[in-house]
Amino acid sequence: MFIFVKRLAMINDVRNTVLSIISKDNRGYITPDEFNLFAKQAQLEIFEQYIYSYSNSINKQNARMFGEGYTDVPKNIGEVIDEFSVLTTLTYSIPYFLPPVDYYYLERVMYNNIEAEKVSQRKISALLNSNLTAPDVSYPVYTLQETGLIVYPTTIVNNITAQYIRYPKDPVWSYTNISAGQPVFNASAFNYQDFELPLSDFANLVVKILQYAGVSIRELEVVQAAKSEEIQDSQQKQ
Amino acid sequence: MPYINNYQYYKNNGAIPEDENWGAYQYVSLSDIVNNFMLMYVGNDKLVNNVDRYTILFHAKRSIQELNYDALRNIKVLELQLGTELKMIMPPDYVSYVRMSMLINGVLIPLVENRTVMSATAYLQDNNLDIVFDSNGEIVTGTSKLDILRGDNMLYTGGGIYNNQMGYCCDGQWYFNYSIGSRYGMNTEDANMNPKFTINKESGVIDFSSGVENAFIVLEYISDGMENGDSTKITINKLAEEYVYNYLKWAVLNNKYGVQEYIVARAKKEKSATLRNTKIRLSNMHPSRLLMSLAGQDKWIK
Repeated sequence: MFIFVKRLAMINDVRNTVLSIISKDNRGYITPDEFNLFAKQAQLEIFEQYIYSYSNSINKQNARMFGEGYTDVPKNIGEVIDEFSVLTTLTYSIPYFLPPVDYYYLERVMYNNIEAEKVSQRKISALLNSNLTAPDVSYPVYTLQETGLIVYPTTIVNNITAQYIRYPKDPVWSYTNISAGQPVFNASAFNYQDFELPLSDFANLVVKILQYAGVSIRELEVVQAAKSEEIQDSQQKQ
Repeated sequence: MPYINNYQYYKNNGAIPEDENWGAYQYVSLSDIVNNFMLMYVGNDKLVNNVDRYTILFHAKRSIQELNYDALRNIKVLELQLGTELKMIMPPDYVSYVRMSMLINGVLIPLVENRTVMSATAYLQDNNLDIVFDSNGEIVTGTSKLDILRGDNMLYTGGGIYNNQMGYCCDGQWYFNYSIGSRYGMNTEDANMNPKFTINKESGVIDFSSGVENAFIVLEYISDGMENGDSTKITINKLAEEYVYNYLKWAVLNNKYGVQEYIVARAKKEKSATLRNTKIRLSNMHPSRLLMSLAGQDKWIK
């Protein structure tokens, strides 16, 4: 289930769980910096999985495998993804509109509340030369490239807004002092950043981080245990 | 287009032009059509999905063009005064003519189309009748004798039976065309004393026979409804709205790979049925009009 509930300072609970599993039988130790790297990687992996899960769940819904209400899995997954949806105004730098630095997927681009349609580079020339479908201010289009978005007709140089799905922010387990040889968690630190995934991903995060940590400390048992947990979890969701 | 209040409808909220919204309720805009279709007919759980908006826009415009050709009959009327060349340049949105008339003393005189040639392109020739080429190897063209003669036609004001008829004056001698039917018997198809015209599609002009110089010509024609490319002005009558949706659905499914033939056939049937319905609706048949026509059924034709 993907109900979007956030837990305050989830990152500390995840770290404690990971450390307690790893520390058992004195398997090893991971530093806060290592944990932050693993946490970032794990969060990204789970985040991207949501997009693919959404696609799969839509296919299943079309095959009548999901119903309404609590069984509406696509809706639940969509709500998680929507938590990363941002609306922003794009700045113009001739001849491009600069995309947001943290965007993962452009949902829609709007010009004066009219949606601009994305067109592939392969099609844009034909479209511009078409009498019936050449873009105008009522039906603007855009192409995307490394440097930014080119909006057609090119007379459009402002009032472009973008609704996009951003990448989750990098999680940071912050600490300020060391007590009895252990760093102490500090949620008030300037660089503190909790996980942005819902509470339901707690176990996933732990398992993923354990995989990375197990590889890091060369502990095959940890990797295998985490892997089998992950497989079991994904089978349950199917 | 959102619903508007009465003040906005009648007075355009005090803005100019005041008549901006008069009669607008009969129509639905192209942007509404495209938006409604994308919203209601396109989706993961719909027959149509993953379709680009420009594809919908293209087919929507094509359906409106088709409707303009054979169902809507939104006739535009243009009045122009002819010059000495006896040519009328087709309006920029001209597709086909409905009727051509000449305005004389406040009365519209209908003109008949002449299906024989009235105008030609002349290749310039030298004294040996060889065709003249320019430095680029292209043929040099000029005004044809046919066009010159048509323009040379003058009103004969002298005495005799040809008084007040159009003729040609050459070296002081007058020449006249044979009167209709006077030589080979009357061809009823052409039995009309009014001037004639020919549609010169390639040149984009309408040629007129002699005798209409400086006359006011009224052209009734149909366009394709594309409003010279201004998509904000493209509208369609609400009676035809359902047809446009069905046309769009069929056009997309028909061109999509892997769609079962029975689905395409169903969409085609829906399209054809709504086109028929649309034509009936747009023909605006109602009892009072029928009664008007029937009122003359017992009139004796003398």
